[in-house]
Amino acid sequence: MRHGKYRFLVGAMAAPLALYAIFVISPYVQAFYLAFTDWNGISNEANPVGLANFTKLWSDPLFLAALRNNGLLLLVVPLATIVLALFFSAATRGTRVYRVVYFFPQLLSVAIIAVLWQFVYTPNSGLLNGFLNAVGLSSWKQSWLAEPDLALWCVMAAMIWSAVGFYVVLFSAAMESIPVELMEAALIDGASSGAIFRRITLPLIFESVQVAFIYLGIAALDGFALVQIMTVGPGGPDNSTEVMGLGLWRNAFTYGKFGYASAMGVAMFLLTLSLAALLLRATRREQVELA
Amino acid sequence: MKKHFVLTIWAAVVTLPLVWAVVSSFKTDAEIFDSPWSLPASPQWNNWSRAWSQASIGKYLFNTVIVVGLALVLTMLLGSLMAYCLARYEFPGNRTIYYTLVAGMLFPVFLALVPLFFVVDNLGMLGTYHGLILVYAAYALPFTVFFLHAFFRSLPTAVAEAAFLDGASHAGVFFRVMLPMARPGLVSVGIFNLLGLWNQYLLPLVLNPDPDRYVLAQGLAALAVSQGYRSDWSGLFAGLVIAILPVLIGYVLFQRQIRAGLTAGAVK
Amino acid sequence: MNPTRRVLLAGAAAATLSGCATAGSSDDTTNKGNTSAENPLGVPAETPLEVVIFKGGYGDAYAIDAQNRYKQKYPKAAVDQKGIQRVGEVLQPRFVADSPPDVVDNSGAGRLDLATLVSSGKLKDLKELLDAPSLDDPSKKVRDTLMPGVVDEGTFDGKTVILNYSSVLWGVWYSKSLFAKHGWTFPKTWAEMLTLNEEIKKAGIAPWTWQGKYPEYMNDPLVSLAAKAGGFDLVKSIDNLEPNAWKSPAMLAAADAIYQLAARGHIMAGSEALSHTEAQNAWCKGQAAFIPCGSWLEGEQQQVTPAGFDMVMGTVPALTGSDKLPNGAVMAASSESFLVPAKAKNVQGGLEFLRILFSKQVARGFAESAKALPVVNGATDGLTLPSGLSSVAQAVKAAGPNVFSYRFRTWYAPLSKAVDDATGELLTKRVNPEQWADRVQKAADAVAKDTSIAKHTR
Repeated sequence: MRHGKYRFLVGAMAAPLALYAIFVISPYVQAFYLAFTDWNGISNEANPVGLANFTKLWSDPLFLAALRNNGLLLLVVPLATIVLALFFSAATRGTRVYRVVYFFPQLLSVAIIAVLWQFVYTPNSGLLNGFLNAVGLSSWKQSWLAEPDLALWCVMAAMIWSAVGFYVVLFSAAMESIPVELMEAALIDGASSGAIFRRITLPLIFESVQVAFIYLGIAALDGFALVQIMTVGPGGPDNSTEVMGLGLWRNAFTYGKFGYASAMGVAMFLLTLSLAALLLRATRREQVELA
Repeated sequence: MKKHFVLTIWAAVVTLPLVWAVVSSFKTDAEIFDSPWSLPASPQWNNWSRAWSQASIGKYLFNTVIVVGLALVLTMLLGSLMAYCLARYEFPGNRTIYYTLVAGMLFPVFLALVPLFFVVDNLGMLGTYHGLILVYAAYALPFTVFFLHAFFRSLPTAVAEAAFLDGASHAGVFFRVMLPMARPGLVSVGIFNLLGLWNQYLLPLVLNPDPDRYVLAQGLAALAVSQGYRSDWSGLFAGLVIAILPVLIGYVLFQRQIRAGLTAGAVK
Repeated sequence: MNPTRRVLLAGAAAATLSGCATAGSSDDTTNKGNTSAENPLGVPAETPLEVVIFKGGYGDAYAIDAQNRYKQKYPKAAVDQKGIQRVGEVLQPRFVADSPPDVVDNSGAGRLDLATLVSSGKLKDLKELLDAPSLDDPSKKVRDTLMPGVVDEGTFDGKTVILNYSSVLWGVWYSKSLFAKHGWTFPKTWAEMLTLNEEIKKAGIAPWTWQGKYPEYMNDPLVSLAAKAGGFDLVKSIDNLEPNAWKSPAMLAAADAIYQLAARGHIMAGSEALSHTEAQNAWCKGQAAFIPCGSWLEGEQQQVTPAGFDMVMGTVPALTGSDKLPNGAVMAASSESFLVPAKAKNVQGGLEFLRILFSKQVARGFAESAKALPVVNGATDGLTLPSGLSSVAQAVKAAGPNVFSYRFRTWYAPLSKAVDDATGELLTKRVNPEQWADRVQKAADAVAKDTSIAKHTR
């Protein structure tokens, strides 16, 4: 290739990499180290305990419950969000005002979203029960967040609702960079809009969909903030909405088991990383060239 | 117009809460709980003045604008350079660097807070603007690179090839050809970063102990705590709305820019 | 522990944590001046003092009052005081690095875990302060000016390391005006409670509501009932993790008593999903007659309480006719935990700050500004208190020495979570009292077996 490539690469990447190494990697490495100790978060000494924290994880019923719940979030949230976002970004082509509006939930902080959804679900004056009443379905009324079988689904709805907007904007941006000629040519060839979406749009924005999947997967394996503010307990009723992030927080800050919490963090890290790698590999494909 | 019906419903579903938060900020606490979805009997302006004074919004807004503004510029500059290099150049270590960056999104920040405190302290940057800016940028980097990487990869190569043939340098191609082409992506990731940094709470909490340099999120914490004890929900809502407003106004004003960005990105 | 097997946190993590390497030496490097009658703690006159206060619902006016008095007494010392919200996250690194402030009010949602602070040896023994002459009456030691239970509650394994500032009692709240209107009287026994509930139901009001989103609110009446029936021995056996303590007859009967509220339909529909704010608000609007809560309720509700509501706190009724504790016995504890870090730069100044803070004048200001009961004896004498606070003050008097408190919540956080979860299930009738006791006992046994949790006894 052209000369000066490496000089450019070094010049371009040195600063971000240095910043990242100092402020992100070095603290993370230390936190990883703590996973192999009994550090309590306060003391200035930490005794190494080998793999004890990790073996304890597999007999911790709360961690296992969290694993199950995060697994369910992982199955539902990314797919539902992406399908909705793809639909909305394709359907709003040409009517940008919708896209502006759809981004609104992103403007709210998680705290306000959680409080808001609590008012949606609250049994006596909540929006959902009020709505059911109004349409004559009062027998469907529930104490939504207090039902072990429903609570997690209620959290998922809030998660999806708050995430869709960003991906509408992201996918729209990617769709905008598809050359208009390509679409016109296809239309002239008589392709249906469904076919155009499947054969042209989707393949060309595939990279964006792929990262969306991974990023939403990461979010689904976390879910901490919403669960902590919205749910009974939090994490309840009876641990039906327990997620890994919540257990981690509880162990670190209320139980003084920082070492154990770090081990949870490392387990969560490895789990997410392997999922991401798996997904990237499974969906690897040739880059679509528009030359 | 079945399509527009669906689109309008979703628009209502996402707008309602924002309106609701604004309306709630004018209600009394009793009204918020008696009928969460009704209008206030008479607007409670003192919620706003209470929030304004308790959260020292004026002073903290200034700090936030400085820190978030500069951190955003730094993040977008470094992040797009990084993403571009990783997406468009083959070199040994490319994948490793990419995965190391992505990995930065996979570990809960709060577990690393104590070590991070010591890193920043040892650099003498505790409670300084530049310390906070650098840390903000470092933690926003993985997300930025992750999304822009995908974006740069999906851009056509022909224009860049042509520029190289015309004798442009690597840096020249990046700044004059690729960056303008990537504008839609830069804008959407930029907005998202802006919101993320604006709402950043854990990092300033630990790294920014000086009340004179507090950012908005730290000021709002005072309201959130007094809400827990005295049910001052109305004050909290007013504070949250005050905190949202600058971003909302910026976002709406920025629309023209975004639209321009999107059009410029479309390959003619 | 064998020091060679210890690894300083800094160890593998290299130089970034080097601040810690110097820590862990002797405890008695304190900076102490000459003592005198005016200055019994030997406060160095020029050493600066750093105070970090949790600025929550009680505000920080009382601490600023104490600060001003300190400055007056030691004009040469610079005093730096901050009122903050997330005490834990802000101070955690400073405790690790052994450069903490001189006084901390470790309270609020983000506080540091007390048991961890204690087991890491981060706290100064407050004995010197407790034995010092009090500010108001030099013939009285500080420890003798505090309400019963306060010193005990701050004591871990024989060392008093924290002093709580605000006294909290737990009971069942009702509106005096509502009860007068219907001619109801607050029941003396649980059987009477259940009978009255039926009557309240007939009047079209739900007898009880509760803060179901945080089930610990209903634990308080539950364990209070148990303590009344089983006496101090039962409380001790629970806190000492004795086998089958949670399955003792008194505890089981208490669980059943609470369960009856749910089983007989005495609880307002939907309560199990209400946050504390929502439930308390429904109660303030007269939708339910009773609500369990601590003595902070009046202050918390002051902006939404209708005029003439006149809320008062009743002590939890007797469980049986043959309870071990007399009728006025009440569960009490205290909050706003003040401490002096062992590695503070100005330990004596920190102790002196607390001596001033725990004086009658400052405490009186606290009662007025924070509308809560300070732990200093006689601080509220002569003040006109609002209905709730005065009912709380009366309950303290009526109880006399029969004040009990459980320690397991601060000692063993995992157990307290298990009790909360189980109680949430009990009140939705998804478990019965026997299953409740089984679950909790299992959790208590697990804590007892877990060698990684530091144990305490009383």
